[in-house]
Amino acid sequence: MTETVYVQLLDLTCGALVLAAVLVLWRRDLRAIVRLFAAQGVALAALVAVLGVHAHDAGLVALAAGAGVLRGLLLPLLLRRAMRAGGAGRETEPLVNVAASLVVAALLALLSYAVTRPVVALEPSPATHAAPVAVTVVLIGFFVLVTRRRALSQVVGFLLVDNGITALAFLTTSGVPLAVELGVSLDVLLAVLVLRVLTTRMRAAFGGTDLDDLRELRD
Amino acid sequence: MTGSSAPFVVALAAGLLGAVAGIALPRRVRPLGAGVCTAVSGAAGVVAGVAAFAGHPWSAWLPDVVPLAGTRLAVDGLGGLFIAVTGAVGVCAGVYGIAYCRPHGDHALDGRAVQAVTPLFLASMLLVPAAASVTTFLLAWELMAVASLLLVLAEHRHRTSVREAGLWYAVMTQLGMVVLLGGLVGFAAAAHGESFARLREAGRGLSPGVRAAVFLAVFVGCASKAGIVPLHVWLPRAHPEAPAHVSALMSAAMVNLGVYGIVRVGFDLLGGGPAWWWLLVLAAGAGSALYGILQAAVATDLKRLLAYSTCENMGLVLIGVGAAGLLDRAGARPLAALAMTAALLHLVNHSGFKTLLFLAAGSVVRAAGTGDLDALGGLRTRMPVTTVLFGLGALGASALPLGNGFVSEWLLLQGLVKALGSGGTAVAVTMPLAVAVVALTAGLAVATFVKAFGVGFLARARSEKAERATESPRAMLLGMSLAAACCVVLALGPVSVLPGIARAVRVVVPGPDAVTGPVTLRLHGVASTLSPLWIAVALILVLAVLRVTVMRRARRRARLWDCGMGPTSARMEYTATSFAEPLQRVFDNVLAPETDVDVTPLAESAYLVESVTYRARLGDRIEHRIYRPVIAAAAWFGRVARGLGNGSVHRYLGYGFCAFTGVLIVLAVTR
Repeated sequence: MTETVYVQLLDLTCGALVLAAVLVLWRRDLRAIVRLFAAQGVALAALVAVLGVHAHDAGLVALAAGAGVLRGLLLPLLLRRAMRAGGAGRETEPLVNVAASLVVAALLALLSYAVTRPVVALEPSPATHAAPVAVTVVLIGFFVLVTRRRALSQVVGFLLVDNGITALAFLTTSGVPLAVELGVSLDVLLAVLVLRVLTTRMRAAFGGTDLDDLRELRD
Repeated sequence: MTGSSAPFVVALAAGLLGAVAGIALPRRVRPLGAGVCTAVSGAAGVVAGVAAFAGHPWSAWLPDVVPLAGTRLAVDGLGGLFIAVTGAVGVCAGVYGIAYCRPHGDHALDGRAVQAVTPLFLASMLLVPAAASVTTFLLAWELMAVASLLLVLAEHRHRTSVREAGLWYAVMTQLGMVVLLGGLVGFAAAAHGESFARLREAGRGLSPGVRAAVFLAVFVGCASKAGIVPLHVWLPRAHPEAPAHVSALMSAAMVNLGVYGIVRVGFDLLGGGPAWWWLLVLAAGAGSALYGILQAAVATDLKRLLAYSTCENMGLVLIGVGAAGLLDRAGARPLAALAMTAALLHLVNHSGFKTLLFLAAGSVVRAAGTGDLDALGGLRTRMPVTTVLFGLGALGASALPLGNGFVSEWLLLQGLVKALGSGGTAVAVTMPLAVAVVALTAGLAVATFVKAFGVGFLARARSEKAERATESPRAMLLGMSLAAACCVVLALGPVSVLPGIARAVRVVVPGPDAVTGPVTLRLHGVASTLSPLWIAVALILVLAVLRVTVMRRARRRARLWDCGMGPTSARMEYTATSFAEPLQRVFDNVLAPETDVDVTPLAESAYLVESVTYRARLGDRIEHRIYRPVIAAAAWFGRVARGLGNGSVHRYLGYGFCAFTGVLIVLAVTR
């Protein structure tokens, strides 16, 4: 593929990545949030695939396929199951309302551009120029984690953080070793499984998954 | 490593072996094994110290013992003196501990922890004066602090007050450690090297600000270990609660190492400093001496009294150290050497009598089940050996002739009095004040120890517990007798230890020996002589003559005059509180005692009294004024900080998020 196509594809996938993250902040319907998360997983896989094709690295392309299956299919499937068991399908009242969340997302994007300047300056290339996008996804994921009440949206926030970190790793390095990527993916899978069990238990105990119900558990 | 380090290696090995014995041996023989190892370790320490100041200094560099930094050891005259003193205390405490730790009534100290840590504590104390790099020094220092803390907590299951004492001690010793760490690490960073040899080279050339900061940090850190007022608060709490042989080790050996740190860093590594350093040391010493002995004079618990007496004696030692620094600065070398000799001799003497006193106090507490002087009395007939030995120690502590404290306090006074003419205004103003402080301290010490001995041991028993007391087992008496023998030697023949002290003094104040003489002490630089042996002989002769001439009159037995109140009872005796009451009245403003007198009249007439209750509480005023507000502030902060964690997961995540973005913003702005 030519350099122009490569850069445009890179920009497209990165745009999809950050757009999915921002939309997670916007939507309150849990089903839509899981769909957006799945879309982001696909975008991440596409990003890795573009990088792999450009570098003529078959291993990277295979990794992209693996990431696509895990983040685009497997994890959303698990989340959907958890949701189906749960019933209530809407995010109740987030701690920060949607409009404010979107403004914050814009500020976080600004911050990540400011902060990654030295990283970009280290080796300017189309891939490193996209690094701020990955950092933005990490920050937005963290923000979701802080402001959303439902256990499921929290899990999605955590997974957004992980997606962002993975994207950052692929963008700033010339390919992550397979062992590392496999380890991280397994970790994420395990974390989601644990969180699912926790969600089920919470529902059994409190009849809901609002995390603030856990407040009485301290001391 | 050279051959002369062999005794030191034996001492450390015996300490480690003692720790193993304390863990591995069955309960029945555990105190014996650990005690023997402690004593052997102490004896080897004495040999190592004597060898060092007899002219065989050695050094060793063990790069593999501690990762990254290695271990650097060196023993010179100064270190040797402290090693020898620590070792001697260790011998007495080890022998004493063999019997003391056996189960007796409800008190048993033969648990694994106490038995294993005691020899380790001694070994770590032997290691501190041998350390020759900052890392080694701090490691040994911390090992010593942790070991002593574990030993203070030995009886935490029996009394809740032990836990409180342990907490105070832990906080004070760790704060001291932090300050000391900051000072020494800063010193090493400024000198570009951490071995003492390197620090010695670079010490004089550093900027005055750095030197002052290092000295102040080391002084504060070491003063908290030495129990100098106002950092003394742990002493009167920890000593009454710790087992007696541990109290002896702490009060007679560990506090010395605080002085060692000040002398080593202030004189040796930094090479002396401006006059205000030494005025500060002198002032801290004077305050400590006065406040310590005042509190001791009104204390009613025997071990608490001894703990405050430790504050006093360390204060006296610091007066000598401060005077030596001041005079050295003013160029009066012989006088500086004299003051330093007096300070170190007093330190040795204090170790001698304080070991004896604490061991004897432990013997009393073990036999009578209490250390409250108001509940003791009448031990002379029941515990004759302990009584005689405690009397010897009290004589030493009260700085009267025939006691060992007299010699060193006399030397100190000589040094201070003769220093008047030399040096500038600061010396001329300070020295008379210091003389007054030493004199007042000596006077109060006599009253204190007359009270401790007279009220605690003589007359009639004031409680059933004291009536049931029996003499301690032989190993305990042996341990005390060893300490007593040291005291007698120090009192009658101080010349036997003076060469060693002179060698230690030469490390910090170069020049000829300040005090010489085979029997009579001759002071160089000032024209004075003193002969403790001749004083003793003369005193004994006078007493013998008096006895022969005056007491030869025929004796007549008669009933004791009891004011017609019927037979005298123990209720009519002086108690420790009543004995100290005049002193308490005189120093009312300083001690600020809280006393309540409630008079309940009879119902029929207001003039007839049914009962009178008297309550007195004598707290530590410095603790009340300085520490209470600090503790209250810390507690308030803790309560407020609890509000940060209200249990909400979102709030915790929010903290993380804010901190993370905050760091990123700082990065983005500053880079």
